[in-house]
Amino acid sequence: MNPFPYSDEAISENELMFAIPSTIMGVSILSLPRKLALDTLYSDGWISLLLAGVFFAILAVIGTKVASKFPNQSYFSYASTLVTKPVAIGIVIIQIILFIGLSAFSIRSLAYISQQYLFEHTPMAVISLSFLLVVVYAVSGSRAGLFRLNVMFLPIILIVTIIIAVFNITWIDLKNFLPLFKTDMKGYIKGFQTSFEVYIGYSIVLFYVGLVNKPKKLTKKVIVGMSIPIISYIFIFLVTIGVYGNMVTANIELPSLELAKRVDIPGGIFERIDAIIFTIWTMAIFNTASMLLDVAVLLITSVFKQIKKRILTFVLAPIIYYLVMLPQEIHQVQTASILLSQFMVYFTMVLIVSLFVIASIRGVGKNEKKS
Amino acid sequence: MVRSIMNRRKRKKNSQPQQHKYPQNLSKQLTSNVNNLKQILGEPHDLKIRQLKLGEGNITCAITYIDGLVDSKTVQVSILANLENAKQLPTEGKELFQHIYNKLLSVIHVENGKTMDEITLPLLSGSTLLYIDGVETALIVDTSGGEMRSIEEPVTETLIRGPREGFIENLQTNLAIIRRHIKDPNLRFKTHQTGRRSKKNLVVAYVDGIVNPALVKEVERRLQSIDIDIVLESGYVEGWIEDSFLSPFPQIMNSERPDKVVAALMQGKVAILLEGTPFALLMPINFSNILQSAEDHYERWIIGTLLRGLRYFAAFLSIFLPALYVSLLTLQPGMLPSMLAFSIAASREGVPFPPLIEAFMMLFTMELLQEAGARLPQTIGQTIGIVGGLVIGEAAVQAGIVSPIMVIIVALTAISNFAIPAYSIAISFRIIRFGFLFAAGIFGLYGIILAYIMVNIHFVNLKSFGVPYSTSFAPFFKRDFHDVIVRSPIHQIKDRPEYLQPQDTVSMDNQGEKK
Repeated sequence: MNPFPYSDEAISENELMFAIPSTIMGVSILSLPRKLALDTLYSDGWISLLLAGVFFAILAVIGTKVASKFPNQSYFSYASTLVTKPVAIGIVIIQIILFIGLSAFSIRSLAYISQQYLFEHTPMAVISLSFLLVVVYAVSGSRAGLFRLNVMFLPIILIVTIIIAVFNITWIDLKNFLPLFKTDMKGYIKGFQTSFEVYIGYSIVLFYVGLVNKPKKLTKKVIVGMSIPIISYIFIFLVTIGVYGNMVTANIELPSLELAKRVDIPGGIFERIDAIIFTIWTMAIFNTASMLLDVAVLLITSVFKQIKKRILTFVLAPIIYYLVMLPQEIHQVQTASILLSQFMVYFTMVLIVSLFVIASIRGVGKNEKKS
Repeated sequence: MVRSIMNRRKRKKNSQPQQHKYPQNLSKQLTSNVNNLKQILGEPHDLKIRQLKLGEGNITCAITYIDGLVDSKTVQVSILANLENAKQLPTEGKELFQHIYNKLLSVIHVENGKTMDEITLPLLSGSTLLYIDGVETALIVDTSGGEMRSIEEPVTETLIRGPREGFIENLQTNLAIIRRHIKDPNLRFKTHQTGRRSKKNLVVAYVDGIVNPALVKEVERRLQSIDIDIVLESGYVEGWIEDSFLSPFPQIMNSERPDKVVAALMQGKVAILLEGTPFALLMPINFSNILQSAEDHYERWIIGTLLRGLRYFAAFLSIFLPALYVSLLTLQPGMLPSMLAFSIAASREGVPFPPLIEAFMMLFTMELLQEAGARLPQTIGQTIGIVGGLVIGEAAVQAGIVSPIMVIIVALTAISNFAIPAYSIAISFRIIRFGFLFAAGIFGLYGIILAYIMVNIHFVNLKSFGVPYSTSFAPFFKRDFHDVIVRSPIHQIKDRPEYLQPQDTVSMDNQGEKK
C-alpha cells in the first residue's frame, strides 16, 4: 500500500498540460524562423504559425474528447472498440513506426546541431549514442517519472526562451516587421504547411488522456498546454524577424540559436552565451525524444500486453540507434523529417477526425454506459 | 524496492535463525535458579549476586544485577536498605514475596518473571532481579542507569541561533527531550525491538492526528522486516528500510538535533530513535528538505530566505563548478571573455596535465584531506590544515603541477560543500561531482547537461517511503512552495507540507485568521 496516492503511476491533469508543450517544443523551433521566412514575406509568418497552432489545438481538443469518452482505457482498446481490432492494430503499428522515427529524428538533429555548436571533433555516433542512452534510461523508468521530468524542465526551457527574447529587444528594428500582410494566399498556405512540422507532438493527448487521474477540466488544460508552444513560437519568430529581417533570417541555418549569440550578459562572465543556451535547449529536445519514444513503448505494450516495458525499451534502443545513424547527410535527415512529419500530420488528422465521427455516430463510450 | 523487501522476507522464512532461547521455568530452589543464571551468562564477573536472609523465617533471597548497567544507588537505597530495615516480615515464601512486591520496593516499575527468557533480557537491560527461595517467580526491578554522556551541543549540526541541546545515547533521555518540546497527548512513541542479539529498543515517534496513518503502517512494516543480529547505529536501520540502496542520495534524513526532529514530527513525518545512538532518523524526505537547515526558521524570514538561496547556490557550485571549469577550458574555450581566457591560459603555462586530470588530482587530494581531517584527533587536527594549505596549495602551484586558478576552483568547491547542512547529502554531492567532472571532460557542456538530466531522471524515479524525491517541484504542490526555496514569514506558513498528505493540514489554530 502506498501512503501517498499522488505518487502512483497515474498522471495528473497538470502534468499532461506540461507534457504537451514539452513534447511539441524540440528541435524544430531552432530552424523554424528560417523556413517560415522563406515561405512568407516580412513578418507575416506569424499568421501561418497562429493558424496552424489553432488548427492543431482544435485537433488536440477533439482528440481529448474522443479519448475521454473512454476513461481509464488505453488508446488501443478504445480504438479497437471504434474501428474494430484488425484496423486498430494496423493504425497502431503505423503510429509506432512514426513515433520511433520521429524520436530518432530528433536525436539525430540534436547530434548534428551540437556537433556544429559545441564540438567539431567528436563523432556524431558518440554524441547521439550518449543522448540515446539517457533517453532510454528515462523511458525505462516509470512513466509518471517522465511526466515529472517534463514538469521540471519546461519552466527552465521557457525561461531560456524569454531570456533570448528579452536580451534581443534592443536589437529589434521595427522596420523589419513592415509592411504587414504582403504575402499572397499561396505563401500563407505554404507557411501553414511548414508549421505542421513544429506542432507534431500534439497527438500525445490521444494516448495519455486515458492515464490521467480524475480528469476535471481536461479540455481547458489541453488548450493551455497547446497555447504555450504557439505563443513561444510566434514570440521567437517575431523577435528573429525583428532582429535580422526577413532576408537574413531566410539564409541563417538556425536563426533561433543565432539570436542566442547576441545575448550579452552584463558583467562579462561569459562571452558567447549560445553554447549554454543550446545546452539547456538539449533538455527540451530530450523531453521531446523521450516522450515520443514513450508513446511508441506505450503503444507496443498496449498491443502486446506480456512484454515488459523495461526490456522493450532496451530492445528498441538499437533499432532507434540504427535509424539515427541511417541518413548519411543532413539534407537526407531533413527530407526524411519532412516526409515523416507531413505523413504523420495528415494521418493523425484523418485519424482523430474519423475516430471522433465514429464515436459520435455510434454513441459509444461514457454516454453509452449512462443510458 | 518493494520487491527487495519481499525477498528479504522470503529469505527470512527459509532459514530460521539459530536463537538462543531459554524457555525453561524458574525452579523453586533459589540456588538452582542462581546457578542457572550463572551458567547462561557464563559466570561473568560483572554479574553481582548478593544473598541475604530475611525476617524471622530466615528465608534466603538473592539480589542479582549487572554491574555498570544499574544505578547502584537505587539498588542500595530502594532495594537493599528497604529489605534489611524491614520488620515483621512474613515467614512463608509466597507471602514474603507478595509483601516485598507490594510494600518494600521503593521503585516505580516492578514486574514478575517466570521463565529464564523473561528475566535475562531485563537483567541485561539494567534491571535488578530479586529471587526468593521457594518461589517460582522472580521480581524484576527496573533500576537501569549507569554512566551516560550528558546532554551536549550537537557536534555535526551546529547552529548560531537555536537550542543547544543534542540527542545522547540514552533513549529515555532523548524521548524526554522530544516530550519537552511537544506537550501534546497525541505524541506517540511506539517501541520495537531490533537485532536478534542486540535487542535494542527502537522507538517510532509521530504525532497522531497529524501524520498520515498509512505512512506509519509502512514504516512499521519495513521495520518488521529487519533481520540482523546487531543494530549498532541508526544507519543499520536506515540501510534496511530505505527504498533504494543503489542510489547515491540518502532517502532518510538523520539528525542529532531534537528541534529538527520535533519540527519534522509537526510537519507530519515519522522519526525513528534508536537506543545507543544520538542520531535519529526522519522520513520521508525529498530533495528540497536536504538543503534546509533548522536555522532557516529561527532567523527572521528575510535572512532565512537569503541563506537558503545561498545554500542552493552552494549546492550548485559544489556539484558543477569543477565540471564547468573543465568544460569551459577544454571544449568551449570560446565562451570565456577573452581577457579571462588569457589570464587562465597564462596561469596554466607550464602545467603538464590537461585540465581534467588536473582537476581530478586536486579534487581527489581534497577528498583525502577531508577524510584525514575527520579521522585525526583534535590536537593534531590543525596539522592537516597546514599540510593541506601549504603543501597542496602553495607547493603544488610553485612546482608547476597545478595552476593557481585550479586551486581556487577546488577550494571554492570544498567551501560550498561545507555549506550544505546535512553531512549525508554533502557526501552524495561529493560523489556525483566526480561523475559530472568526467562527463565534462569527455563531452564538455553537453556532457554536463546529459549528466544533469540523468540525475533528474534518478530524482523523479527515486522514492522515499513513497514520496518521489522531486516532490514539491514535480509532483507540483503549489502550497508547499512557501517553504521550499523561499522561507515565507512564519505567519504565512499556514499549511503543513501537502506532499506528506497529513491528516491535519493546517498548522495554525483558527486557520490562520485572527479572532
